[in-house]
Amino acid sequence: MPELPQSLKQALSLVQKPGRYTGGEPGCICKDAAAVDVRMAFCFPDTYEIGMSFLGMKILYELLNAHENWWCERCFLPWVDMKAEMERLGIPLYALESKDPLTAFDIVGFSLEYELCYTNVLAMLRLAGIPLRAAERDGRWPLIIAGGPCVCNAEPMADFFDAMQLGEGEEMLQSICAAVEAAKKHGWSRERLLRELAAIPGVYVPAFYDVEYEADGRFKAIRPNRPGVPPKVTRAIVRDLDSIPPPRDFVVPMVGAVQDRACVEVLRGCVRGCRFCQAGQIYRPFRERSPAVISESARALCQNTGYDELSLSSLSTSDHSRLEEILDAVNAWAPGEHVSLSLPSLRVDNFSRSLVEKTTRVRKSGLTFAPEAGTQRLRDVINKNVTWEQLERTCRIAFSQGYTAVKLYFMMGLPTETLEDIKGIADTCQKVVDLYYSLDHAKGRGVQVTASVACFVPKPWTPFQFCAQDRREALREKQRYLLSCVRSRKVKVNYHDSATSVLEGVFAKGDRRLGRVIEAAFEAGACYDTWEEFFDYDRWLAAFAACGLDPDFYNYRPLGVEEPAPWDHLDAGVSRRYLAREYQKALRAEPSPPCNRQCSGCGADKLLGRPCF
Amino acid sequence: MTTVRIFFEKQGEAAYVSLLDLQRVFHRALKRSGLPVWYTEGFNPHIYLAFCSPLPLGQESVCESCDVKTAAEPPYGAAWAAALQPCMPGGITVTGAAAAVHKAGEVAAARYAITLPAAAAPALAAYNAAGSVPAEKKTKRGARVVELKAAVPALSWQGRGDTLRLETTLPCASDGENLNPALLLGALQTLAGEAGAAFAPWQCRILRTALLLPDGTPFC
Repeated sequence: MPELPQSLKQALSLVQKPGRYTGGEPGCICKDAAAVDVRMAFCFPDTYEIGMSFLGMKILYELLNAHENWWCERCFLPWVDMKAEMERLGIPLYALESKDPLTAFDIVGFSLEYELCYTNVLAMLRLAGIPLRAAERDGRWPLIIAGGPCVCNAEPMADFFDAMQLGEGEEMLQSICAAVEAAKKHGWSRERLLRELAAIPGVYVPAFYDVEYEADGRFKAIRPNRPGVPPKVTRAIVRDLDSIPPPRDFVVPMVGAVQDRACVEVLRGCVRGCRFCQAGQIYRPFRERSPAVISESARALCQNTGYDELSLSSLSTSDHSRLEEILDAVNAWAPGEHVSLSLPSLRVDNFSRSLVEKTTRVRKSGLTFAPEAGTQRLRDVINKNVTWEQLERTCRIAFSQGYTAVKLYFMMGLPTETLEDIKGIADTCQKVVDLYYSLDHAKGRGVQVTASVACFVPKPWTPFQFCAQDRREALREKQRYLLSCVRSRKVKVNYHDSATSVLEGVFAKGDRRLGRVIEAAFEAGACYDTWEEFFDYDRWLAAFAACGLDPDFYNYRPLGVEEPAPWDHLDAGVSRRYLAREYQKALRAEPSPPCNRQCSGCGADKLLGRPCF
Repeated sequence: MTTVRIFFEKQGEAAYVSLLDLQRVFHRALKRSGLPVWYTEGFNPHIYLAFCSPLPLGQESVCESCDVKTAAEPPYGAAWAAALQPCMPGGITVTGAAAAVHKAGEVAAARYAITLPAAAAPALAAYNAAGSVPAEKKTKRGARVVELKAAVPALSWQGRGDTLRLETTLPCASDGENLNPALLLGALQTLAGEAGAAFAPWQCRILRTALLLPDGTPFC
């Protein structure tokens, strides 16, 4: 075991939870740096605790490290105290396995999970001593790439990356590593390497495209500036999930990660088509893993990691057509191996007693459901096909099984929303409380209903991409009104300030010019924007002003159904025609059925090359 | 049911693994190893485990131990160590496992090897010359002042290149007198500051080398 350098020991002696910065966790992979051909630093632009909860990193870490001559390591954004010590002591940002600085790597890849992490990416590059903009880097610098859902509108971060991956990384990232290996072997120039990358399905090389704007500032077009570059980049997907089994081992964090359990992805995509939900659109088409693969790899994962809690994850786990089979297969071994099972993302419309019984062998804590809107009309608008009757039935089962806490997720600021809908949130919660007291319940045991109310942000690749975001003042007014509608102490309302949602909305639908704003805000000190105590809205407004751009232009303006959008050169799968159709249906409060029942013709089946069902 | 004491070293990067995190590490390692350890029989069964005189964060040791219970017959030794090692983080080396001889409460003292920068020599001399070296000890019930000279009347050290090495024994009773070597180090830093030869904690290494019974024999 190599001795830690003195400067690092000094920094570690001065910061909180130093175990986040030392690596060496069970399951982490160390190789001989001199003996491998490709070194990649997988960077998560947020803290260790958040990044180590992220399944995508675990999937790609195992896949890349399965290549004997490639070595993928992990890197996270150090927390404020450690970042300050590293800057003070001149310690460049390093990867946890080798402790080598990011400049020693061939590829530095970032996962863009959330718009408010954009400044964190710049902070990590700066801490590594790497120039921020792709245009400032030649072939001597590592290849800086990105992946993750935010790439579906890549433009706001396009200036900073050499290549961006649209879609699923399992195959695409391996192709990128192979191209880098070839580039090193044959001594290709950076331009040559980027041309090779641009030919990989799903890979977008921003420098190969020029953007045009209208005189009034609206986005006009984006076109390749070199021959042989595809005018449209189509999202890469794994057609058959069973062809790439889930990870059989995790790096097991020692310093508490947010999600610290074994986790197996049971399906990808979502059949529901909720009109506000970006994940539900951009991860289409719907694909399932088979129960045998799920159970077998879950068992191996629990055995290899020692985890005693297993989560079957996906956007909507209860939509797996063979869920009961999966649960039976897992329950055949889990209790004997002291493993308990949890199912996130349950839905109220197919929640059953047997499901609860099969998943709650150990602990009964709270249950969480997401009606998303307070009235049936608005739920029809957003296509959250959930009724009060279903919610009531679900809560009835939950209460009879001993649950006494229910958490309900809602949004405000949804298209067509009125104060009637806001009042509906409070009424729904109150009806759940009343239901609890109308049933047999343990004497003296009360119920707690928590409404968690988020501000709706219109996202690209959703039917609501055409909508303007609700203004901050309007959201504040609605929050106040909601609180005035709550009359019981059994109902607790959680919401947070809408300033972060405003910025999220701007970046979600923004264009390439926003790169300047992100850089200006970063240079003025913006970082850790997801952490409320560090988010400074005025600093961001100043950055917009300094760049001569108006944030309201991006999120408070509806997007015409025919209007060009900064993500038009990317093809996430679903078609603009389908999105426009769904938007019109939303305005008429007309729901659409789940796509396993009736196809809505979203167009994502072309990625599969066959019908989805 | 036999109490098995698993001995391990905790060095290098593992010095930054806290007790809470260490419990999780052992819980998972034991579960993964498939060793026949006893689970509590409550509503939420978990592996029973207990650490004896756990180390403060940042310090290293070659004599840590974790107790578990088992219905299995001895020997445990090398087979248990081999089963546990693959699931351990970098810096934790399982050195052995055996039926516990002593109770955890019998530990009275711990022996430490402390490495300091050569610049600390005047502070060590000042410690030996001082009539009294008070140190403030913070506990859950508030702060109180302890006299270090009562526990360690004098220090002796050896120079090794640009470092100094000293060995000392400090009280380490789980429910009685207990002195964290960091307190001694803190006092030395104060003395170093007064002597105009300051050094920082990160330049020092505290390595626990043995846990001792009241008669000075090793705890096992």
